[in-house]
Amino acid sequence: MLKLHNLSKYYRTDEVETVALNSVNIEIESGEFVAIMGPSGCGKSTLLNIIGMLDNPSSGEYVFMGEDVAGYSEAKLANIRKQNIGFIFQSFNLIDELTVAENIELALLYHNIPSKIRKERVAHVMDKVGIAHRAKHMPSQLSGGQQQRVAVARAVVGDQAMILADEPTGNLDSAHGQEVMEMLQSLNEEGTTIVMVTHSPSHADYARRTINLFDGHVVTENLRAAQ
Amino acid sequence: MYKNYLVTALRSFARHKLFSFINITGLAIGLAAFILILLFVRDQYNWDQNWHRSADTYKLETTLTYPDRDDRVSPGAVDPLKDLFLATYPEVEDITRYLSASMDLRLGDNLFREPAAFADPNIIDFFQFEFVEGNAEGALLNLNSIVITERLAAKLFPGESALGKVVTSTVRETQDYRIAGVIKDFSHNSHFSFEIIVPFSRDYFVGRRWFTEDWRFPLRRSYVRFKKGTDVAGVTAQLPALIEQHMPQETGGQETGRGRGMILNLIGLKDLHIYRMELTGDLATLQGFLVVGLLILVIAVVNFLNLSMARTSYRAREVALRKTVGASPRQVLVQFLTESVVLALVSLVIALALVELALPYYNDVLASVIEFDLFSNPLLLAGLTLLGIVVGLSAGSLHATYFAVLKPSSVLQGNGARDGGKQRFRTALVVGQFTIAIALMTTAYFVTKQTEYARTLNLGFDKENLVVLSGTNGQDSDAIKAKLLESPFILSVGRSSDVPTEGSEDRLQMRPVAGGDMAQLDGLPTGPDFFKVYNIPMLAGRPLDASVGVDNFRTRETREYREAVNIVINAAGARLLGFASPEAAIGQTIRTNLTSDFAFDATIVGVSADFHFDSARDVIRPGIYYLDEFRRSDMSIRIDAANIEAAQAAIGEAWQVFFPGQVMQTRSMAEMVERQYQGDARIGNLLTAFTVLAIIISCLGLFGMASFTVERRTKEIGIRKVLGARYGDISLLLLWQFSKPILVAVAAALPIALYISNEWLSGFAYRIELSPWPLLLISSAVLVIGWATVAGHAFKVARANPIRALRYE
Repeated sequence: MLKLHNLSKYYRTDEVETVALNSVNIEIESGEFVAIMGPSGCGKSTLLNIIGMLDNPSSGEYVFMGEDVAGYSEAKLANIRKQNIGFIFQSFNLIDELTVAENIELALLYHNIPSKIRKERVAHVMDKVGIAHRAKHMPSQLSGGQQQRVAVARAVVGDQAMILADEPTGNLDSAHGQEVMEMLQSLNEEGTTIVMVTHSPSHADYARRTINLFDGHVVTENLRAAQ
Repeated sequence: MYKNYLVTALRSFARHKLFSFINITGLAIGLAAFILILLFVRDQYNWDQNWHRSADTYKLETTLTYPDRDDRVSPGAVDPLKDLFLATYPEVEDITRYLSASMDLRLGDNLFREPAAFADPNIIDFFQFEFVEGNAEGALLNLNSIVITERLAAKLFPGESALGKVVTSTVRETQDYRIAGVIKDFSHNSHFSFEIIVPFSRDYFVGRRWFTEDWRFPLRRSYVRFKKGTDVAGVTAQLPALIEQHMPQETGGQETGRGRGMILNLIGLKDLHIYRMELTGDLATLQGFLVVGLLILVIAVVNFLNLSMARTSYRAREVALRKTVGASPRQVLVQFLTESVVLALVSLVIALALVELALPYYNDVLASVIEFDLFSNPLLLAGLTLLGIVVGLSAGSLHATYFAVLKPSSVLQGNGARDGGKQRFRTALVVGQFTIAIALMTTAYFVTKQTEYARTLNLGFDKENLVVLSGTNGQDSDAIKAKLLESPFILSVGRSSDVPTEGSEDRLQMRPVAGGDMAQLDGLPTGPDFFKVYNIPMLAGRPLDASVGVDNFRTRETREYREAVNIVINAAGARLLGFASPEAAIGQTIRTNLTSDFAFDATIVGVSADFHFDSARDVIRPGIYYLDEFRRSDMSIRIDAANIEAAQAAIGEAWQVFFPGQVMQTRSMAEMVERQYQGDARIGNLLTAFTVLAIIISCLGLFGMASFTVERRTKEIGIRKVLGARYGDISLLLLWQFSKPILVAVAAALPIALYISNEWLSGFAYRIELSPWPLLLISSAVLVIGWATVAGHAFKVARANPIRALRYE
């Protein structure tokens, strides 16, 4: 699916250069469920952003589905992103002005899909995550768990091959967290590649592989036998 | 896709009502102001555009030059030029001319004085005047036929057809004129002002001194139509040679003389009005207003830019999200530009309604007849729509670009976008806005002050209760005066060839006492009682006295100018001639040229105080006054202020005795003086009105910024309060934040405003002094308005419980 080779990311301010990622080498196969763990500030989110093409690496190679995308323009990246990658965030990031259905539909808007088909797919995915009865509600009228289910629906409605989840359970209580994890697991079983940043060891257990980051380095990679 | 943009945009507007309201209102007011000014400018540029082949038609105008006098510009041309043009230039297709004069029409017992064109019969075909009644064919072929306008037809024959009706008039002899046609009224933006077209006949003017067929009097308004594609500049270049070849150098008579020259101008019919405005300086004012309109629009657009930038954080998450799901930078750009264009178009619709509402008042102030023909004029509609789109694009450009290049990763993990240097830029925008507003306001202040000052200016004569009765030349002048003075309500009567505010056309040369070049003085033929009726005191010597023989320059008896005569000059004249004091001038005899052909010995018997004879804008010019019985057609009549109506009745009675069956023409001197200030007063009023709009829009923006800042600084203020800041400290903190940009704007506006005001004031001989104090006063006022605008927010947040503020994050 993707391969990072000697990939680094620095942030420069006037005086200091902060190294967020330092020569990271990671390979992720299609259909994997990978958890990324590490203390705050270790570069987890930066890594996820680079994998999601929301940020550019400072140096190194990023091969996504056979293409080296490291030097691509933003428009080109946007195009690859919308075809292949779905995102789930800790803070849900739903648009306050749009209803549940419209929020999910947003992910299809930039795909040149006719309105009717969009509506069908949105309805289908809402059923799948169990939020159909809330289709016309605004995000502010939903509980956190419900909001995250909408976010999951949005991430998968475009049939993305890979989902990047940045602490998807961080803002949820344990019951709702569990629910979201099960949803991700079943998506993975259907073939979706999932890369998830998490603080919770128990949620990391859902993944088949855990990458531990510390100060921008990959420290360990634990492989878990299939359950 | 666009539907989604629209839904998001609309819901976002609805959610941030204040922000949307300020943006739309500000833009609407700005657009309305700009459109109003644009309509006026368009109207001015639209004069005389639609005559038959306007583009090929030129007006022939004349400037007479003299070796020792100022040039004289005339809107006409001399008589022989028509034939000369037709014979010389094959590219001339046709020429038509008219002589502008008034005509008294008698209809039963009623008498009407109307402006008339004594025209070449081809004038109708030339301009293709549109006939409402009758037929253009042959309408002017008969000398007894006239064509009148619809307006005059309605006035003469209300409710019935004027065609074929007969009116009586005395042009040379009394005769009947049959109305052979009624043409459509000229639009307000046509330079034609006559109501009657009369076929020209030389017989009407035989023996009239001012009308001759030679090269002396450029009285014929002449229009030349060239063949399509003619190089008119080429023809113009040949005109000096034409004059050189044909103008007689030694023409007898007093008004011409050696070295007199003539410059001919061909002015395109379509450019005529703007050409005139350029001559009077009105064009600069017009352009100035266009700039003011643009500035107001800029202020409104800056508001929009500023508030949109301020609120980017509210929509950053949406943008970041759109980007993560695949929106390209271009798509984001398009989304936000579309949004601001939609907002601008909504504002435009409101602006159009505002324009429609304001137009009657606007026309009132401008004394104009501007129409807002939006729906009958697709070009205007298209133009304004384009304006709305351009305004929308520029208003949205900043935040749309900001969003297009926004990195989604920075937004999605954090709690919204960081401010990242935008604050300083926004402050700069506010400074720019207030600089414009304060500079406008200060300029408006000085324009208004100057107008007020000009009104209180001592004119040097008493303008109140003076009636000017024109057209009293002739041998009955003394008798009319005596008849008028029979009335106890008429206090005194003076005569002169022209009256104050009109200026004089005579220029006399006198040799200063110390020698050197000839000095030029404005000549005014008067009666002996001129100074008395205007209450102009003599500083030295005495006024002229008709009973003293040598005081009379020309009498009806002798008909000739005297070679030696007593005259009066004004104090400015005495200074110009080099006399140390008015007294020193008395008894001095100076060789004087009346024209380049006629010189005489002028002995100064009196020096009057200075008084304004031209516009009060100009400096008082040196003047020379002499008695001339042939040139004193204007009677200035001082009436009893307590019996104005009785006095006016007495004037009417006297008129009827001497001029039965003729229309009496009177004017009030106070009104004539007032009219001089109207133009400037109008500028002042308009500028003030537009300035108020500029301030309102700026304050709207400030209000929006304040509410935004308060929201953003809630947490900071909470912390400050927890640390012990008091209510007053917090309020001051916020007020100070908004005072800074205004104070910087004051500093920036000061030199700009003083420069512009000084430029404008330099057109006045008597002007107020510029000082920075009004600017500081205005700035304080703006500061107070600004405080009032933000105070509500400041107090609200200052009073709030800090715990709530801190929890808010």
